[in-house]
Amino acid sequence: MTPAIFSAALLARRWLTETSIELRLERPKGFDFRPGQYIRLYHEVLERDYSLASGPDDPELRLVVRVFPQGRVSTFLSTVADGTQLSFHGPMGYFVFQASDRTPVFIATGTGVAPFVAMSRAGLKGYICLHGAKDHQGLLYRQDLEKNASRYVPCLTESATPDKSVFAGRVTAYLERLDTGRAYDFHLCGHQDMIHDAFGIIDDRFAESHIHSEVFY
Amino acid sequence: MKVYTGSGDRGKTSLFSGERIAKNDLRIDAYGDVDELNSILGGLIAGLPKALTSLTLELTRIQSDLLDVGAWLATTPGSSAEEMLTPFRPEKVAWLEAAIDRLDENLPPLKGFILPGGHPSGAQAHVARTVCRRAERHALKVADSPREGSVMVLLTYLNRLSDYLFVLARYCNHETGTAEALWETTRVKDAAT
Repeated sequence: MTPAIFSAALLARRWLTETSIELRLERPKGFDFRPGQYIRLYHEVLERDYSLASGPDDPELRLVVRVFPQGRVSTFLSTVADGTQLSFHGPMGYFVFQASDRTPVFIATGTGVAPFVAMSRAGLKGYICLHGAKDHQGLLYRQDLEKNASRYVPCLTESATPDKSVFAGRVTAYLERLDTGRAYDFHLCGHQDMIHDAFGIIDDRFAESHIHSEVFY
Repeated sequence: MKVYTGSGDRGKTSLFSGERIAKNDLRIDAYGDVDELNSILGGLIAGLPKALTSLTLELTRIQSDLLDVGAWLATTPGSSAEEMLTPFRPEKVAWLEAAIDRLDENLPPLKGFILPGGHPSGAQAHVARTVCRRAERHALKVADSPREGSVMVLLTYLNRLSDYLFVLARYCNHETGTAEALWETTRVKDAAT
């Protein structure tokens, strides 16, 4: 699909955590995308890429944005009035689900869940999901990810109380324990450091597996 | 935003279709050569004299085509990743052929083997030609059999491109008034002296 320029009104915004927001945009006519793709949003002379967290048939477009205190675009998005027209280019990117006979594994941290939410909302089932966050509140879109997963593992680094339903530690620590008896299609999305560490573990432990990744800056 | 990721520190890299392979794999050789060729063309473009700047658009288009070639070589044939690639169409080969005919139109006929060299732009085009041939050799090694579709076309493109680069070298020398050096066989010369 060739990227085109679109304009869409902001319909609503809600805070998911202290530092992340969900934006719902009207879906422009003719805008089609594959789950996992992103849009390039423009504000004045600046541009930022945001993965779509909507299913391909959803009537609205959803974006998940981390708000940085000094971030010019993210702070704008955190305060802009409903109804404001936002311009963007899209859809873009190659981080889409590629079917195979290997077990899909989604590894997501922070707002990196967005492409996997899109894939789940598109009806993808049977994946293993390693969902990383500091605490329960940081498990964005847990319900969307968990409902279609064959195994859903919340990996929390700052779990206040012992909780058998979560893995206490980073997603990469869980990856070091994942069974090696089969080949996987790893899909990684999140912070660069997590992706770098995950690559090392996968290269060491899962030689026959494939890796697809998207770095969120 | 960091350019370096470190994911290749242990000698492996990822194909577009997701496999992790050794950096000295044949497929990496193939698209590595294409990348090298592309860089040489970039140098050629950067050094074009005023008389040859009309070539910029054409050479830049070839650079874009080479990125497409690289994308196809970086993808395992038959993988679902192929769906995301732009088909590499036969029209690209036809376009090269038209470009060759245009450059060749006013060149003096070849009277023998020429020594690669001449004007810096011509000499650089010869370097590009040899790297293109190497890229073709490595691409042939990794191309599936039977060859079909975009892979077949890109192999044809690489073959035609080295012809284009040969003619380009001659054209650059001709347009800059630089004489071509003909290969004089030394055996005959030695016998005569």
